[in-house]
Amino acid sequence: MDAVAIRGLAWKYAGRSSFAIEEVDLTIPAGAFVGVVGPNEHGKTTLVSCIKGIIPHGFHGVWRGTVELFGEDVRALGSQRLAELSGFVFADPEAQFTSMTVEEELAFGLENLGLPVAEIERRLVWVSDLTGIGALWDKSPYEISGGQKQRVAIASALAMKPRLLILDEPTSMLDPLGKDAVFDLLASVKRETDMTVIVVEHNVEQVAPLADLMLLVHRGRVARAAPPELFFEDCDLLIESGVQPPQATLFLDRLKRQGRFPGKLSPRFEEDVAAVRDVLAGRARGGGTP
Amino acid sequence: MSDSVLISVEDLVYEYPDGTRALDGVRLEVREHEFIALIGQNGSGKTTLSKSLNGILKPTRGTVRIGELDTRSRGVTRKIVTQVGYVFQNPDHQLFNNTVHKEIAYGPRNIGLGHEEVEARVEEAARVCGVKPELFEEHPFFLTKGLRQRVSIASILAMRPRVIIVDEPTTGQDRRQSVEVMNFLRDLWERGGHTVIIVTHEMPIVSEYARRCVVLSRGQVLLDGPTREVFARPDALAQAQVKPPQITRLAQALGDHGVRGDVLSVDEMMEEFDRVTSS
Repeated sequence: MDAVAIRGLAWKYAGRSSFAIEEVDLTIPAGAFVGVVGPNEHGKTTLVSCIKGIIPHGFHGVWRGTVELFGEDVRALGSQRLAELSGFVFADPEAQFTSMTVEEELAFGLENLGLPVAEIERRLVWVSDLTGIGALWDKSPYEISGGQKQRVAIASALAMKPRLLILDEPTSMLDPLGKDAVFDLLASVKRETDMTVIVVEHNVEQVAPLADLMLLVHRGRVARAAPPELFFEDCDLLIESGVQPPQATLFLDRLKRQGRFPGKLSPRFEEDVAAVRDVLAGRARGGGTP
Repeated sequence: MSDSVLISVEDLVYEYPDGTRALDGVRLEVREHEFIALIGQNGSGKTTLSKSLNGILKPTRGTVRIGELDTRSRGVTRKIVTQVGYVFQNPDHQLFNNTVHKEIAYGPRNIGLGHEEVEARVEEAARVCGVKPELFEEHPFFLTKGLRQRVSIASILAMRPRVIIVDEPTTGQDRRQSVEVMNFLRDLWERGGHTVIIVTHEMPIVSEYARRCVVLSRGQVLLDGPTREVFARPDALAQAQVKPPQITRLAQALGDHGVRGDVLSVDEMMEEFDRVTSS
């Protein structure tokens, strides 16, 4: 079953003259890891808000088309069912904190779901192991580092065991070490769970290596939807659309268009290094993705 | 580049009231017409240093001199703000007037300039920053973030400082917005003759724009030199937990094929690849 099936979606916020997104047709298979890139104000957050059901439930405006989450129409779902199906993590982790300790923060959503205490305890242990925050349980979520805060915010969403996790620019407020910590965690989520994950992110260099599917949202439309090895072909078009491809991928794209690299493009740095080595050694074969 | 020293930092130690030592013996000279990037992990001291360079923070020990002014002397603040300007990361932390015009005019009025001089400076700073006069009566909070950033830079430029420090100019911005603000800062440096200091985590921005790079680690200057030379030292950078841009790391991974390890851009990497494959 598809995690997300969107047909003919358009949305216009009340009071605005033009549609924020339109003509969106998209399917995301269950279990996929999706990277969403594109310039600010071009519709990325609106698109994921429609998938989460924040739009139209929390906003006034004009809606056309359908969005199905695991086969269920988001417009017909209540808030409890939406919370069971999907979790959402914001750019600013403090925006979603409600408790005075990390442990209470992790338990908050689970208590709201009415889960038995034994199940809540099991999930806290599971999610703390997965996210590496066990040592932070007694601390205030406001007094830990930026990277730790975002790990706690993601852990709180993961503890609900949603089938789909959406993260909207989860690293935009973090320093490089904080960004690394969040992407390491997302790699663990991909490896150790069967969750579908959608990440809106400017940091193409770090999100693309994890992605099964990359989406370019430009001028309110999904302008490109492809696996990474196809998404980065013709990097110039991405740059014109306001997206910065990883530099090593951009370099291989240039070699490829000069006929000097015959392989597939990869956004994974180690594979790019190996591909350039092969070209330099005069044995360029597949290169890029294995 | 002129050798004229604008800011001189000697053995600077800064301790916050809770005893945390953020800077631990920093020596640095900022000269006329430089484009400098201050880099380092959070907690390395770069924000504390940048706020010490214009006297927002006073040294616990050591000295910071701006020209002949010691930032610890009494009554120097009004002189310092005409020498060194500081643009906050979030324009909303800096903007507090209810029109764009009042915002840009605030500094010049505050140092007691006459009406005509204030108007001339507002007009000049707004023009340089691309803030059109029809926006003068708008409330800054209703502008786009890019324009708010320009208004905050204009309000600093109206003081005609020789050094302008910009804290994380590209954080949270997309590629187009980042290029726009960085090209604008480069114009200030190239055409306006200002010394520009940026505090940033974005290494491709550093390699493209900054001619000099100062790397801080644990409150000390770990590396200080031309950006190309600094990024060519990955082992030293690793001590500061800083990684060079990806294209530089690609070149460094291919050193055994004769590729130079100080490549700074994709264009340079193409040239280097041509050189290696044709030799």
